[in-house]
Amino acid sequence: MTAVADPVQSSRAWRLRLAATPYVLLLPALLALAAVSLYPIFYGVRASFHKYRYGLDMGSAGKQNYTDIYHDPVFWQAMKTTAKFVVIAVPVETLLGLLLALLVARELRFASWIRVALILPMTIAPVVVGVIWRLIYASDIGIVNPLFSHLGLGTPDVLAHYHGAFFGLVVLDTWEWTPLLFLIILAGLHSIPQDPLEAAQVDGATRLQTFFHHTLPLLMPVLLVAVTLRTIDAVGTFDQIFVLTGGGPGTSTQLISIYSYNTAFQFTQYGQAMAMLVTLLAFLLLLMIAAVQFIRRNSRAAA
Amino acid sequence: MSDTPVTTADPFERPLTRREVIKRGAVGTVIVFGSTIAFAPKRAAAASTASSITIGTFQDNALSPIRDYFNGLFTKETGIKVRYHETSYNAWYQNAKNDGLNKTGAYDIYIMDDNWVPEFAAGHIIQSLDKLGFKVNPDILPKGVEQGLWPPKHGAKMKAFANAKPELYAIVNIDDVEILYYNKDYFPHAPQTWDDIYRVGKAKFKPKKLYGWSARGVKGNPIVQTYLPLMSSYGANFVNADWSPGFAGPAGVAALERLFSFIPFMPPGVAEFDTSQEVPVLLQGKCTALTEYTGTVHVIDDPKQSKVVGKINTAATPKQERHGPAIGTFICGIASGSKNPQGAIQYLEWFTSSRIQKQFARRGGSAAVTGSALHDPVAVKKYRWLPAIADAVNTSIPKPRTPDEPKMEDILGTALNEALIEAISKKQGYHAIAQKHLSSAATQITKYLKQQGGYF
Repeated sequence: MTAVADPVQSSRAWRLRLAATPYVLLLPALLALAAVSLYPIFYGVRASFHKYRYGLDMGSAGKQNYTDIYHDPVFWQAMKTTAKFVVIAVPVETLLGLLLALLVARELRFASWIRVALILPMTIAPVVVGVIWRLIYASDIGIVNPLFSHLGLGTPDVLAHYHGAFFGLVVLDTWEWTPLLFLIILAGLHSIPQDPLEAAQVDGATRLQTFFHHTLPLLMPVLLVAVTLRTIDAVGTFDQIFVLTGGGPGTSTQLISIYSYNTAFQFTQYGQAMAMLVTLLAFLLLLMIAAVQFIRRNSRAAA
Repeated sequence: MSDTPVTTADPFERPLTRREVIKRGAVGTVIVFGSTIAFAPKRAAAASTASSITIGTFQDNALSPIRDYFNGLFTKETGIKVRYHETSYNAWYQNAKNDGLNKTGAYDIYIMDDNWVPEFAAGHIIQSLDKLGFKVNPDILPKGVEQGLWPPKHGAKMKAFANAKPELYAIVNIDDVEILYYNKDYFPHAPQTWDDIYRVGKAKFKPKKLYGWSARGVKGNPIVQTYLPLMSSYGANFVNADWSPGFAGPAGVAALERLFSFIPFMPPGVAEFDTSQEVPVLLQGKCTALTEYTGTVHVIDDPKQSKVVGKINTAATPKQERHGPAIGTFICGIASGSKNPQGAIQYLEWFTSSRIQKQFARRGGSAAVTGSALHDPVAVKKYRWLPAIADAVNTSIPKPRTPDEPKMEDILGTALNEALIEAISKKQGYHAIAQKHLSSAATQITKYLKQQGGYF
């Protein structure tokens, strides 16, 4: 005897299958994402709760690594230096990038050549950038000391002083990464609708008024995305510092990236290094959530 | 006769169905992966037969003669093929550690920096040479041999290893040690004390033309290497036998004050100097003396790099209370997963033999490890620095033997760099500056060691 399928049940099953299909199809991608992206983070977090000695995993350390870094003044110094670096470098780069983009957005003669020249620093490998600037700043063979001396300003010995080395690093970073902000902002400027700007000009608005009341608000979402991306990147600055100062003099350029690297690979305290990075990740996540909220609110207001 | 379509003669011209494509693809994949899995271990095994050894190392000019000549000579004399893999210092440290921990068998011999030995021996990344039956050549300078012992024979020992008998885990292959380089134009004889160097430096100093002293002042390892020979010669210890830091006492402070006393005669920007900036000052004839490791001997008579060829002499670093050159040898261990440990033993015994070491010293004046090589008349006639290396090794004082030594060095090196910068900017109050920064470093090191456990 053949069973007759219940049409209601079969239709429900069909609908269920239909609803599940996209998730089933997504599963391989989700698994790949979990393996490539999430597992390393999970592994890192797990390592932050382990103790390592003689290159061996000695087992669980509980929250000891977090307690240790909480009481480590060098860690907090590195966090402070990282924050100082980001707070100074990123706004300077954004402002310069904006100015350059505004300059080049107009159809100047040789504008395309200027654009190419402006983005060149960004295309150089960070390690090479570090080497270039180390040669520029070096007190024995660099060009900064003779230049200052020629101008009667003495010899700054940039890398031999705390403030000199720190601002030397900011200058390097500005030179290298302003082009990125310039490019993003330039693209943003090109995407702004021209009608409101033209209307403002017809209404007699000056260029400054047009910029502050129309261009800048329209550009704000792009600027926020650019600043957010650059901030994440700046927090992780490593190669240039490694080559330029190694984190010195003293601890003046020791960003958290350098300190955690040393903790992991010089002092072989992998657990502590991971605790540092997890703490940093938590700070960054909070920062990013705030940035995303801000962008959303801003976009809604602009709309 | 079947009505199946007739296939064309050339299979590549026949259109394939989707099923056939999948089937063939699957078969191809199985063949490729299958053959990889099936043959790879056999290849690896073949590579590690008794007739070959694999050496892993970091890149360093001092090792070039081994790579370019001695490995070939070993093969010629023994028939054992030598594979030699070089990489950068930091990368090699990680590679070697991972290889040893996982016992992959990719390497038989690791060439290491001697401060890796505590971690590599305690973590069983390398094997005990004693247990493998390695015979130490009695001609090797004893201080060099001691660098390969774990736990150490002398000085502070970690609690877990306090009662363990020292075993040889690695054997020195380059006797790298700090020595004094001085210009004969200003020192007719080797200066005996730091006071001698100070007197000459002060008298001969001509701003921008001739400096009385130069140093590595950059934070971390470099400035520690500058300070250690001073510290030891003034009678202080990095750490005492009970792991309490010994440099913050009167002797350590006096040693740092002596370094600061050179500030008026040192090049500007010395706080950012490492070897690559310090040594050229000497080679341009702009400096009377400095301390450096033995790698610099290879450039002092090179007319392409030196303007003072033949004028730079060497000696053990000066003494005040005692001699105290810092030692930092290159040293060889046998990988825990070595597939040919006996071949590796044969290589190490061969390379550290008096006969080969003599050849090593004669080829470019390398820092050989045996007394007979460093005093070999033929080698010394050509390479005048060899006896100074022997003197320096014999009077050397090692750094603390613990896996936590890099952290201790980083703390001290940061404090020394900060002290130097403050002394340069204030130009006075050296005693107080030295006391403040050394005490701070001592406190931090004690705190760190307590946190790590196993010391007090």
